[in-house]
Amino acid sequence: MALKEDLGSSAGSTDPADELVYSKVWDLPTRLFHWALAATVIAGWYLGYYREFSTIDYHFYLGYATGGLLIFRLIWGVVGPPSARFINIVPGPRRLITYIASVAKRRPSGVAGHNPLGGLSVVALLAVLTVQVVAGLFAEDDSLFASGPLESYVSLRWTAFANEVHYISSRVLLVLVGLHLTAILFYQVWKRENLITPMLTGWKRVYGKNQ
Amino acid sequence: MSIKYLVGAAIAAAVSISVSAPSFADPIDDTIKARRAYYQVVGFNFGQVVAMAKGEADYDAEAAKNAATNLQALSKLHLLPLFPPGSDNEAKKGATRSLPKIWSDFPGVVEKVQAWQGAVDGLVAVSANGKDALGPAVGEVGKTCGACHDAYRAKNF
Repeated sequence: MALKEDLGSSAGSTDPADELVYSKVWDLPTRLFHWALAATVIAGWYLGYYREFSTIDYHFYLGYATGGLLIFRLIWGVVGPPSARFINIVPGPRRLITYIASVAKRRPSGVAGHNPLGGLSVVALLAVLTVQVVAGLFAEDDSLFASGPLESYVSLRWTAFANEVHYISSRVLLVLVGLHLTAILFYQVWKRENLITPMLTGWKRVYGKNQ
Repeated sequence: MSIKYLVGAAIAAAVSISVSAPSFADPIDDTIKARRAYYQVVGFNFGQVVAMAKGEADYDAEAAKNAATNLQALSKLHLLPLFPPGSDNEAKKGATRSLPKIWSDFPGVVEKVQAWQGAVDGLVAVSANGKDALGPAVGEVGKTCGACHDAYRAKNF
């Protein structure tokens, strides 16, 4: 019984005939977006944390690139394929609770897209990154005489506020990225589900997608 | 003594205090203004050489030397009068970003100010030696500015 459950049913399905089969889940634009975002955020974070005169301009460029990627993702989340759409990514409470109840089980989630918890993580990451980029446009580092392109349009009070937001959201971002990586490791080791390869190839093992 | 009387007295006291309070000018407010003005002058002079180092302004040996020398003079001022106790951002909310840590960790502040003075001396020494020599020295000064800001200045008011 336990074995059957291990191999057979998905979190939301009780049909024991469901099997894990390969399905194309992530479209190319979404995958390119993901890895480009990872690159700009990691490099941007590094050059912000260890900021210097000689490299602070690159921090700015990476921020603009991140902003461009976010705008793409917001549009793609409306017009893109099902697995990229926010309407499918943001889970309803029932779906979320059902998933949480089964998440510790030692079997792949087999979800054809973001699982409900992962969906929340995606939304949180995109939201915090948006805050990060927008705050950066108004922030300044007066030790480096470097200021965001919109800093001169607001008062010092707003700039100081933007500085604080830019700092706090960078720490929140660190926590969210840590959760992201921990979750990937948890799925890999505990749930025996590889989430990295699908984000490279687009193909993921999912339940009951026999078409 | 009735409750009504007590409440009346409390209201009268509260009103008289809130009306009269703004009329007491606090000398610390003026000191905070002077302190912020000082750092504006510091920033103005440093900004001259930053602009040249970044290529936003043409390098001018004499102007660079003047700005660096001004900065050096400013860095050697007696700064203690600008930092009286009670002028931190908890005592004077909204007026300053100076953290109470400045007063609780004074040796740390002194150390960072000395690092700044040393970096400014280094800047003066190379300021007339061309744009390529200016860049790294400006970078060193900026680092010492940032080290103090990160440790002793709040990000927001």
